[in-house]
Amino acid sequence: MNENSQILKASDETDGVPIVVDDDSFVTDDTSVMSVRAAYVTYLLVPAALLTVTLLGGIRLAEVDNAFRFLRPALICLVFAVILLVLFVRGHLIELSGWFSEELSVLQNLANACVLITLFTASTQIFNSLLPEGGLPFWIVGFCFFWTLWNDLFLDFDARRLLRSLGGLLALGFFVKYLLLQNLTAPSSENWLKAIFENPAKEAFTLVLDLPRYSSLTGYLQFFTVGLFLLGLFLIPRTTKR
Amino acid sequence: MNERYIQALGIVLTAAYFGAIVFLYWTAPRTLAEVSTKSQVAIGTYKIEQAKFDDGLRAFRAENYVVARDSFDRADPERRDANTQFYIAYSYYRQGWGRISNDGQLFLRGIEAVDRVTALNRDFKSEDPDLKMPTPAELRNELEEGTKITGDDFNPLKLIRERK
Repeated sequence: MNENSQILKASDETDGVPIVVDDDSFVTDDTSVMSVRAAYVTYLLVPAALLTVTLLGGIRLAEVDNAFRFLRPALICLVFAVILLVLFVRGHLIELSGWFSEELSVLQNLANACVLITLFTASTQIFNSLLPEGGLPFWIVGFCFFWTLWNDLFLDFDARRLLRSLGGLLALGFFVKYLLLQNLTAPSSENWLKAIFENPAKEAFTLVLDLPRYSSLTGYLQFFTVGLFLLGLFLIPRTTKR
Repeated sequence: MNERYIQALGIVLTAAYFGAIVFLYWTAPRTLAEVSTKSQVAIGTYKIEQAKFDDGLRAFRAENYVVARDSFDRADPERRDANTQFYIAYSYYRQGWGRISNDGQLFLRGIEAVDRVTALNRDFKSEDPDLKMPTPAELRNELEEGTKITGDDFNPLKLIRERK
């Protein structure tokens, strides 16, 4: 009798009568607890995190009254999300055979499909969050994203490198949109002429680059969103087969 | 909990959360209070705020149409009540009506409001005896006529017509 089975005996003692279990049943019980925990993470925690990213990725807060603005993703965001999912499979972050298989029950295949759909929607919304809304910055940043993702498609990745690369890409996108472009945006003013005199450079950038005027809280919200997306990717298992 | 139950629960919760997100993006509420109102509309429990409607009606009868519209707008923020929208349209008509000339801008807004009434209830008929044009069709016709310039506008007898 080894140490593990002794521990289990002591903890399962009821009414002073110890329950005798052999070593194999302990191992089975331990594995079961682990798989239930993994199921909680995979089927509850990961979708919750990714759906929260889906919700927050398109939200902006108006400059004046912090009112919500829900922005639907541009078509290019869907294309980027598809490329990203292909990258996840190529980088072995996700083993498709471990998510959809005849060996798994119908219920598990269905639950897995739900998780992967949330991954797709979250990926779409993370690009919606980081791509500038319009004008020249949209095309420049969009092209940079496309170029990076397209090149990544032809590289040999492992999951860790892929996550690092993606983290870098998202961090850069965040920096450009919510630090660089946000600081170039002039505050809204009712008097156009007065605004020109007060903030000539910012007003020029805002007009030329067609920058939207959002509350600075939007940046904090999207910082949280990007962090949550990376957390979701970190938690997502490579395979759901036990 | 059994792993299968967790998977089933995951599917249900994911579908519910996803549905809520689609609803939010579809309705695009501006504030948290609007989320509640739009949810009421979606589940069919939306009602106008009667106290504000009564305030609006008092202002309408006192011919204070700007205040009346403000109260009506607050009473029916989702613009789902045909009666309230009809009063809004009528307030544009009464405010914009003039013995010599009408205010075209107000009449155009009135047409927009009366179109909302028709969209909400095609067979709407007001029960207020004070309103001489109880149906959206009559009101719309009057508003449309008011925005046009025709030969009748130069008829001197127009000066003795009454506001409806």
